[in-house]
Parts: sequence; structure tokens; C-alpha cells
Amino acid sequence: MPGPLLLRRGAADRVARSLSAKLALFYAALIALVVIVILAGAKAGIGSHAERMIRDEMVSGAAVFDRVTTMRYAQLGDASRVLAGDFGFRSAAATGDAPTIASALDSLRARLRLSQAFYVSTDGDVVGFRGTLASGEAETLRRALEDGSTRGVLQLGEHRFNAAATAIEAPTTIGWVVFANRLDGRELAELARLSAIDLSPRIVPAATLSAAERSGGIVEREAGGEDVLIQASPVASFRNEAPQMLVLRYSVTRALAHYAPILWLLLACGVVGVLAAAAGSWLLARRIVRPIVALDAAARRVAQGDYAQVPVETRDEIGTLAESFNRMVEDVGERERQITHMALHDALTGLANRTLLREHLSKMAARPASGRRHALFCLDLDNFKVVNDTLGHPVGDALLCHVAQRLSDFAGDGFVARLGGDEFALVVDDAQRPFDRTALALLGVVAEPCTVAGHRIVPGTSVGVAIVGADGTDPVTLARNADLALYRAKRDGRGGFRFFETAMDAEAQRRRQMELDLHDAIAEGQLSLMFQPLFDLARSRVSAFEALLRWNHSQRGTVSPVDFIPLAEDTGLIIPIGEWVIREACRVARHWPDHVRIAVNVSPVQFRSPGLSTVILQALADTGLAPGRLELEITESLFIDNPETTLASLHQLRALGVRVALDDFGTGYSSLSYLRAFPFDKIKIDRSFIMDLLNSEGATAIIKSITTLAEALGMETTAEGVENVGQLDILREQGCSHIQGFYFSKPIAEAEVDAMVFGTAMPPMRLAG
Amino acid sequence: MKRLPFLLATATIAVAAPAPARAGTVAVHVVDAQGRPVPDAVVTIHPAAGVPAGPIRFPWSQAMLQKDIAFHPSTLIVPVGATVTFPNADKVRHHVYSFSKPARFELKLFGRDETRSYTFRTAGAVALGCNIHDSMKGFIKVVDTPFAARTDASGDARIPGVTGGQARLTVWHPQMKARFNESTFPLGVPAGGETAQQIRLALR
Repeated sequence: MPGPLLLRRGAADRVARSLSAKLALFYAALIALVVIVILAGAKAGIGSHAERMIRDEMVSGAAVFDRVTTMRYAQLGDASRVLAGDFGFRSAAATGDAPTIASALDSLRARLRLSQAFYVSTDGDVVGFRGTLASGEAETLRRALEDGSTRGVLQLGEHRFNAAATAIEAPTTIGWVVFANRLDGRELAELARLSAIDLSPRIVPAATLSAAERSGGIVEREAGGEDVLIQASPVASFRNEAPQMLVLRYSVTRALAHYAPILWLLLACGVVGVLAAAAGSWLLARRIVRPIVALDAAARRVAQGDYAQVPVETRDEIGTLAESFNRMVEDVGERERQITHMALHDALTGLANRTLLREHLSKMAARPASGRRHALFCLDLDNFKVVNDTLGHPVGDALLCHVAQRLSDFAGDGFVARLGGDEFALVVDDAQRPFDRTALALLGVVAEPCTVAGHRIVPGTSVGVAIVGADGTDPVTLARNADLALYRAKRDGRGGFRFFETAMDAEAQRRRQMELDLHDAIAEGQLSLMFQPLFDLARSRVSAFEALLRWNHSQRGTVSPVDFIPLAEDTGLIIPIGEWVIREACRVARHWPDHVRIAVNVSPVQFRSPGLSTVILQALADTGLAPGRLELEITESLFIDNPETTLASLHQLRALGVRVALDDFGTGYSSLSYLRAFPFDKIKIDRSFIMDLLNSEGATAIIKSITTLAEALGMETTAEGVENVGQLDILREQGCSHIQGFYFSKPIAEAEVDAMVFGTAMPPMRLAG
Repeated sequence: MKRLPFLLATATIAVAAPAPARAGTVAVHVVDAQGRPVPDAVVTIHPAAGVPAGPIRFPWSQAMLQKDIAFHPSTLIVPVGATVTFPNADKVRHHVYSFSKPARFELKLFGRDETRSYTFRTAGAVALGCNIHDSMKGFIKVVDTPFAARTDASGDARIPGVTGGQARLTVWHPQMKARFNESTFPLGVPAGGETAQQIRLALR
């Protein structure tokens, strides 16, 4: 394994050991179990085999003994029968000639090599018995003979005999002659030699044996620490009331002992086998575990981002796993590259995105200044929204791709990025040409007409330029300054380029600050309304006041609406401000006489917000102002976007009773058509027409036409910016219904309005005429 | 042996003389332990008054025939001192013998149509056998009383003319489990008429 991973080796080794140990233990245990099973089986098998063999021997031993004794009895029987048939013996027996009987028996005994040959008379006399016979025994013997016993094992005194008897008939049974052979150890030993194993035959009275043994089956007993098998088989007994049995025994333990060496050998082999299995499985386990450890190490490296590959050494499952692992690592790496790419590039055009641009700029700033300078060009396509809305987004996207391609081709070695929407950025050096020529060329490149999805489009763009180094070194500053330049370019007319200047920067800062201040203006109570009266020429009285917004900033002082209203509209602050204005206007107007209306300017931005009707309704409801006393002054620009929605809202408001006036009449594109669209209550003639009144003849005619038109449509007319009596005269002459301007009164505060309205002060002007 | 003629004479007189008026008949039925009738049992009666004088004579012949390798009759009752002939009707020779205490004798190998005889001078039971033919067994009961009879196949024996009064009844059977194969009972013989006795024996 590579060097840096030595630290991990200890942990990995522990894993290896434990798995190896587990495997080794498992297989050792398995083999040991098998060995034990084999040993147990062998022992059981051997044991049962040996036992079976012993039993078989016993059975055959008993049978052999039976046969041998039968033959012996036959012999004895034959001999006794011969004697019993002898007439001389018979006559001796019948006449009770004991000596003769005794001598005949004696000689026969010697001849036949018998232990006993004696005669028992029917009266119970015994002749020829060697030794002494208890009287009781003689009587039982006689009775047994009388009962017909002719064969069997006979116990007389201490000794046991194989006895055969034959009745002496002369002519009736007068007695029996009994031939007997001692059943001693020698005899039994001879018998014992007849069987394959030494069964230690003994003859014992049946009474000395247990019931189980007497039953004749093979009985297992423990004697002297050994397991012995005992079988007792009945033997013919002379006296049936005292039966005798042949007992054969053999020690199973001794028999099994012969097999002990085999079992020990098996055990030894088993032990060797277990050790071999343990060793073998240990080695095998190590072989398996090593690649696992390698895989584990590689996995850790991959987790840390180092895309390591694992060597494939074998063709087995481990090898397959290693291959799969390697493939996985490659795929992960590939995906990561894709993700990184997506993170740094624009999905639609394939150009770099803002993040990558920032990186590029940082890198460039870090590089030492070479002979060439670089500049950041920010582009914003003109009227791109129109294309999207009219031709659809797919076309818009295709156009963007087109532009992107053109920019890429133009930039060559330079850096191109798409900042989002319809904004692009280029970073180019001035090697080929100076920056202003580059900007100009850029404009031309973008402005070339193109055909997208069958539509012919002529794109246009504005360009803002910030020079790296002069206009900032860090990406943020550069981007901001380029943006400011772009904004300036757009403001100065589309289709042009502007370089960043410091003054622009300061202006931007100022605007930003004002925006913040304006935001707080409402909360801080810095806003206030001034009211400029509208004078009804016919009735010679003030008919309405126009509410004009004033902003008194603590530090700036009074800020002109010209300065802050556009800013409010740009930032959307006009909506809360406008709401405040409407509420305030209604509140103030509430106290005025009923014939005095309040007029409020409404910007198109306010109209675009959906809550305007609600705001107006709420203000009217809260203040209790009659709707007819509120007049909204709107300009034509309201109708540019979404005329239908606007009209619907206007009708809705009109339905409430709110009056609507068209402001700045005559300055827009199609003022007349707007008059057709909506039944306005009033037309306010722009001050530019009033100013011209004394200078040109045509101006008067225009005024006349407007007033005639308004009258025909049932609308009031108000002339704005009346500053002198000459204007006033003409206006009055031409039929204008109301006037507004410095000549009558400049905008006044609320307190002064009360004075004017309630008649405590007269306007400083002459209205006679 | 000297007594023999005297005995004979007494027996004859006893027989010849008319039976005294005080005499009864004794009918004996002999069965074994299982109640089965025992044939060929010899019943003898010894009155207490004594045996009548005179020679004893029995109606049957006093000959033990050997025919078909067998003794006929199987049991013969003869008075003491009687001479019994042993005619051999078989084609083979027989070697008749007896080791019984009352008479020990041998009649060796006599053949057909040869007769031997033997005089039995002692009362008792004599078992006869043939040395050649083990199956031949016969018995001669030598009695000293005229009141003797042999039970027939149904175990009955009838002895008429027995002196009335007390008597001893003796039953003998070769297989009887008793000393000398006989047992004795007291008997009351009626002065006239019959008395029946049933005797149970234990046989081997």
C-alpha cells in the first residue's frame, strides 16, 4: 500500500485478523465437529460390532455346549443301556446281590473312565456310589429317577455331574443304573476351547442367578469395573426342581480394548486434520482479506477526493469487485467533472457563468501586469423581453445562443460569459485594437440581423466597459463598475457603449443612499403634502387642490420630487409612498367644504400593482371622504402596458364615484385616442402649451381646440403653470374652466389651505376681468 | 414242601365240602387315582376266621402260555404249591425267568411245544420275564387263600362264598405304589349276600 496510508494499516490489519480468525475458527470448529462425529460413529460402530460378535459367539457357544453334552449323554446312555440289558447284572440287581452289583459297576467305571457308576434300587438303596451320599439326596435322586429323568446335570453333594441313567427291568423296573462324569473345571475348560473366544463357561444352579439372567437372554452387567455380557442357557437337569444353567460370560470392555489403538489413531488424525484446517483457512482468509483491505483504503481515498484505482490481481469475485470499484470511481469522477462544469457554465449557451467569470477576473488580477491591459465588457440585449413575449421563449433562447456564438467568435482568446437573462460579459485585452474600437465592433457584431426559427430578428445591445486595474482590481468592483457603465449606456440611449467614470460611481452611490433614505422617509415622517389650488374661472372659487409630495430629509433638506419620484418609481417605493399620499390626501380633504376636491397624482407603477383599488377604497372608507371628492390624475404612460387591465381598473374606480383626470395632455403620443378610450372627468393641459401662449399664435389655437374638444366631451379643462395675467386672459377667453399655477397660488401647506378654503384669507391676485 | 400236600388236601376239602351257610359274596371294583378301572389287579381275602381247610383250587388252568411273544394270561393266580406249566406256543424259544423272592427260577430257552413247569411253594407275587424278549412280562400271584380273584377289564372282581365275618382284603397290582405292590384293608364280609367294595389304588 502507498505511504500515506500506513496510518490506516493498523486498523485495517485488525480487521484482517479478526476476519481471518473468524474463518480459521469456523473451519477448525467444523473439522473438529466432523472428527468428533466420525470418532463417535466409529466407537459406536465398533462397540456394536464387538457386542454383536460376542453375542453371536455366546449363542454358538451355548449351542456347541449343548451338542457336546448331548453326545456325552448319548455315550453314557449307551453304556448304561448295555449294562442294563445284561442278564447277569439284572439277576444280581434283582436278587439284591450288592457285591456283585458293586464289582460289576466298578469294573465298568474303570473301563469307561467314569467318575461315578452306581445303582439305585426302587427302594432307594444306592450301590456303588463312590463317596457318601446324604440320605435326603439319595431319596431325591430315586424320586427323580422314578419320575423318568434319564439325562441331565446332577448335583450330588458338592459336585456336579453329567449323569445318564437307565432303568433295570427284570422284568419290571427294579432300579436304575446311573453313569456320571464330573463337571469340573477341566471339563468346562475343554468346552471353553471349543469356542472362538474364551466364554468362561460355568454350570451354576439357576437359583443363584437373577431373574433376568434366568430368562435365557443376554444380559449386560458391570463386574469388576468392566462391562460383561452374560448368557445363561438351561441345561438338562436331572432334578427338575433344581435346574442348572450354563453361564457364558465375556467382557465387552476387554473386547473393545482391542480396538482402542484404532480409535486413538483416528483421534490423532482428527487432531492433525483440525490443525491443518485451521492453518489452511487462516491462510485462505488472509488471501481474501488483503484485497478487501486494499479496497477499503481505496474507498477512503476516493471519499477524500483522490480518485484512486485498485489493482485487479485475480479473476475471481474479488477481482470483479475491484473492477467494479474502479469503474465506479471513474464514473464518480466523471460526474463530479460534469457537476463542476455545470456549476461554472451556463446551461443554455455553454458559456462560462458569473462564478467562473469572477474566478477568471481574480486570476487575472493576481497575474503580474504584462504589457497588455484587459477590460470587462458588460452587455445587455436591448428589448430582449419583447422578443420573448412576442415570439416565445424557445425563440428567445435560440437568439441567446446565436448571440453567445457570435460573442465567442468575436472574443477569440478572450473570455466570454453569460451573466443570466440577456446579460453577457467579455474580458478582452487591447492587443489587437484599443478598447473603444473593440466596444464599437462588439456593437456591430451583435447588431447583425439574424434569422431564428424563421423569424428575422435584429438584436441590439448596450455595452458598459470597466478597465481592469484602472476601474478596479477585484471582480466585485469591476463588475459593479461595468454594470454602472452599462446602465449609463442604456440611459443615454440604446445601442451605445459607455466607459465607467468615477463620477458615475459617485452618482450611483448617491442614488443608493437616497433610496435608503426614502425607504425610511415614511416611517420617519419626513414626507408631507403641499396643496396647490385649482381655481374655477366660472365660479371664481377654488374648486380643488392638487396634492404635491414633499420630502424633508434631516440632512439633505428639502428634496425635490424631480429627484426622488423617479427613484421611487424605479425601486417600487412609490407604492407605499403613494398609498400614504392617498390616505393623507383623503384625511386632509375630509375637513374641507364639500365642493372642494382633492387631486392626487397616480403613477403607472402604482396602477400596475394590484392593490391600488383596495388602497383607494380603504382610504375613502377610513377617512369617510365621499368618493366624488377624490380625483386621480393619471398620465398617458399608464396605457402603454396592458391597456385592458388598466381600463378595467379605471372603470372600477369610476364606478365608485372617483374622478379621473388626464394629466400632461398633449405631450404624449396619442392623447386624443385616450380620450376616446375612457370618459375622463378632466383634461389637464400641459404647462408647455401655456408657456407658449404669449409667444406664438398657434398656441392659442391649440388651447382653443383642446377646450372645445373637452367641452364637447363633457370634460373640464385645467391649465397648468399659469404664471401671469396675460396667460390667464387668453385662457379665460378660450374657455378653459380651471387654472393652476403660481399666478394664482403656489403650493401651500395644510394650515394655509384651511384659511383659504374657509375664507379667512383671499388669494393675492386680481381676478377681475 | 412237606406242607404242600397238606395244604392241597385242605384246599380240596374246603372246595369239596359244601359251603357253610355263613358266606357272602364280595364284589370288588378297583379304580385308580383318576377313577379309571384297573384290570389285572388281584384281590385276595383272608377271613379272620381263617382260611377254610382243604386244598385250594381255582377254576382256571394253571398254565402260563407264551404266545405271540407274550404271557397269557398276563396275571395268573395259583395256590401255593401249585405247579404251573409254561407252554410255548411261539415259533421262537423263550428264556423265562423270575427273580422274585417267592420264586427264583429260570426256564432256559425252550422252544415250541416244549413245556416246562415250576412249582410255586411260596405265596407272593412272581414277576416273569423273558431274557430274550424284554417286552414279555407276566405275573403269577401265588395265594394262600381260596378267596382270590383278578379284576377284569372293567376293574371288577367277584369272589363268592367268602366266609362271613371279619376279613382282610388285599389288593395287589404290579404297578401299585405300595410296599410289595399290595395293600390290605379290613373287610366285613356279610354272612350272606353280597358286599361291594370300591378300592382306589395309586398306580405308578
